[in-house]
This record gives sequence, C-alpha cells and structure tokens, in this order.
Amino acid sequence: MIAQNFDYTAPASLNEALTLLAGDDVKVLAGGMSLIPLMKLRLATPGQLVDIGRIADLNYIREDKGVLRIGATTTHYEVESSAAVRSRCPLLAEAASFIGDIQVRNRGTIGGSLAHADPAADYPASLLALEGRVVLATAKKQRELALSDFFVDTFTTALESGEIIKEVVVPVEDQSAGTSYQKNIQPASGFAIVGIAARVRKSGGKVAMARVGVTGLSGKPYRATNVEKALEGTAGSTADIQKAAALVADGIDANSDLHASADYRKHLARIYTMRALAAALSRAS
Amino acid sequence: MKISGSYTVPAARERAYQLLQDPAVLAKCMPGTDHLDKVGDNEYEMKMKMAIASIGGLFSGKVRIADRNPPENFKLIVEGNGKIGFVKGEGLLTLSPQGDSTDVSYDGDVQVGGTIAGVGQRLLDTTAKMIIKKFFEKLSEAAVQ
Repeated sequence: MIAQNFDYTAPASLNEALTLLAGDDVKVLAGGMSLIPLMKLRLATPGQLVDIGRIADLNYIREDKGVLRIGATTTHYEVESSAAVRSRCPLLAEAASFIGDIQVRNRGTIGGSLAHADPAADYPASLLALEGRVVLATAKKQRELALSDFFVDTFTTALESGEIIKEVVVPVEDQSAGTSYQKNIQPASGFAIVGIAARVRKSGGKVAMARVGVTGLSGKPYRATNVEKALEGTAGSTADIQKAAALVADGIDANSDLHASADYRKHLARIYTMRALAAALSRAS
Repeated sequence: MKISGSYTVPAARERAYQLLQDPAVLAKCMPGTDHLDKVGDNEYEMKMKMAIASIGGLFSGKVRIADRNPPENFKLIVEGNGKIGFVKGEGLLTLSPQGDSTDVSYDGDVQVGGTIAGVGQRLLDTTAKMIIKKFFEKLSEAAVQ
C-alpha cells in the first residue's frame, strides 16, 4: 500500500527540528524502519514528518569521562562496527549485531528504536543491563533519564510531546567484566521472542556484580533484579546460575502470541538467562 | 484471543459495581473516548481514538451491558470498527470484596480482524493488556474521587 499524504521536512539542525516538532500531528522520522511500514499499511497516518536523518550533529559515538555518548541517529550497523563500542562497551555492539537484518541495521537508528519502544526490540535488554541513560531535549530544556524510567509500557515511553531523544549514554565497561546477549529469534520478523543481556564482574572467586536485562517477555523491557541478587555473592557455578535464572519470569505477566505462549516464553526466558549468565561469566576475568 | 486478569479497585463492591455501569465513568476511563451515547437499554455508542506510539486510528463502536447480577458480576459486550480493523468481544466481569476494596476479575474472548490483526499479531496481546491496565488505573482514580 501507499502511505496517506503527508508533509515532509528535513531540518539541518536539532533546534530547527525541535521547533517543527511543537506543531500538531507531527512524527519524527529517524531511520524509518518501524514508522514507514506502519505508514504504508496506514496504521500510522501522521500529517507531517520531521526527518532528523540529515542533522549531522546527531550522528556520533564519543568517549567522554568514563561514558560513551551515542547520538540518536547512529545506525545499528555503526554501533555494531564501532571500534569504540566494541572495546569499551562490547555488550551494546553484540546486541546491535542481532537486530533485524543487514538492511535494517544500515538504516535503523538507536534513537528511533528506543523511541518506538517495541516490547521485543533488542537494545533495551542490554541498555538496561548496562544501566544506560538517555538525554531528551525539547526546544526549551534538556533532561537526562535512566532507561529504566524511560520505558513505560508497550510502545510507550516517558517522551513528552515535542521531545526528542538526543543521545544515549552508557558507562564504559570495566575491562574485567564479562557480558553476553542471548536471543531467541522469531525468524520471519527478526524480533526477539525473548532476549537476555547479562553483565557480570567477578572478584575473589565470587560473582561481585550481576546485571540482567530482559526484552520480549512482557509489555516492557525490565531488569531482573531478583536474578541479579540471587547470583551476586555466589561462586557462579552451574547450579548457582540455574537457581538464579529460574527467577527471571517471577511475577511477570508474559506476552502470548502465535509464535510463543506465555508459559513457553517464560520457559525460554529461564533457559536464555542461564545461557547469557554462563557466557558472561566465562568472559569475565 | 483470550483475555483474562484482575485488578483491585479501591472502592467497596456496591460502589465499584455502580462505577462500572455508569456511562460517564466508563467514557472517562476508556483511553481515547470522550463520551458514550445511549442508544438502547444498557447499550451505548462510542467513538474511540486509539493512539499507541505511531499507530493511531479512529474506532466507532458499541458497548452493551448484559446479564446483570449486582453486585457480583455482569457481561460486557463490545464491538468496534475502524479503518485499520475491527474488534469484537465479550467478557464476564466478576467483583469480589477484598477488605475495603474490590477485586475485579475479567475473563473474555476478543476477536480482532483487518489490517491491525494481519500485521500486528505479535503485538495484540501486549497492547490489549496495556489498554485494560489504563482503563483500571483511571477507574481506580474515579473510585477515590
């Protein structure tokens, strides 16, 4: 199908884009990997698109005082292949490499993916495990928010009207940490049925720190703090991992669709949590 | 698609039952709905503007309340049509006292068709849950007012 008529503007600066966004019935177009298909099916019918793809100063990956700053229009492929991300924050590069297919990774952007907030998107699991943050801007002000506060529900974020994601901020990883992203892929869409990101640090033969991010299981991505607590302080043996991973779906209202029932999804979540934790622990030194 | 779950509404059972039958309250609690027009006994017409992230559409439909058995349970029958698809379903709402509050559980079967079902299968369940959650959150707000 062909999209309904809409106005299109491609501002050259963020300020110009933010001014345009103050209008009614306006959507931001970043990579368009989710929005354009919705428009072609007429599930989305915005009156005006503000294409932020030509704003040069939204596309960057910089290291700055212990954090990586990634501009909103940085593509998944740029994240996946960036030497800085691969060495300073390998979990994020690994997660990016799992998104969709090569065409999607070449056009889709980190800011677009987060703003769309698909409950099965790959980035949120790793960004939650990394305790990442987002910088949000309007024409008048700028604020920084932890990603755990950013995701509200299915397709729903803390973004306010007229607000845009400017950049994503992730702490530079301690070199001794081990990380892994494990995903059960729905082959037709490339989306995660479940995706688990794990991040661990060891000290004196014990698990000193564990972080687990979960995507695909419920309406919004979350950090499985119960799993983290159960694993921290243990030796990280197979039995310890199994015991901790068993908690990942506790109290979660799991999604159910034709690809996976709620019970099967919970089962997958436990298995993939075990795999992610085991892989992360084997990579930690 | 089967839908079931439960919410606790901070009101005594009789009052919670009343709130759930009040068209003005229902209109206020349904996301994207301004008002319900009475078209028959226990039957109302409504327009609902759905907007979830990029996906948006106008639905017009009917709500009917049947098999009233106050203050324990009643049946809610909903149907809606829009450019992006249709929704049809019915559910049984059961109210049970829970101290000063009321536990409202729902159990129903919903059919969704059209474009939205064809391409959105993966997201129907989680989206339906979100709409129901929003409804009960608003209802809880109405209950304490």
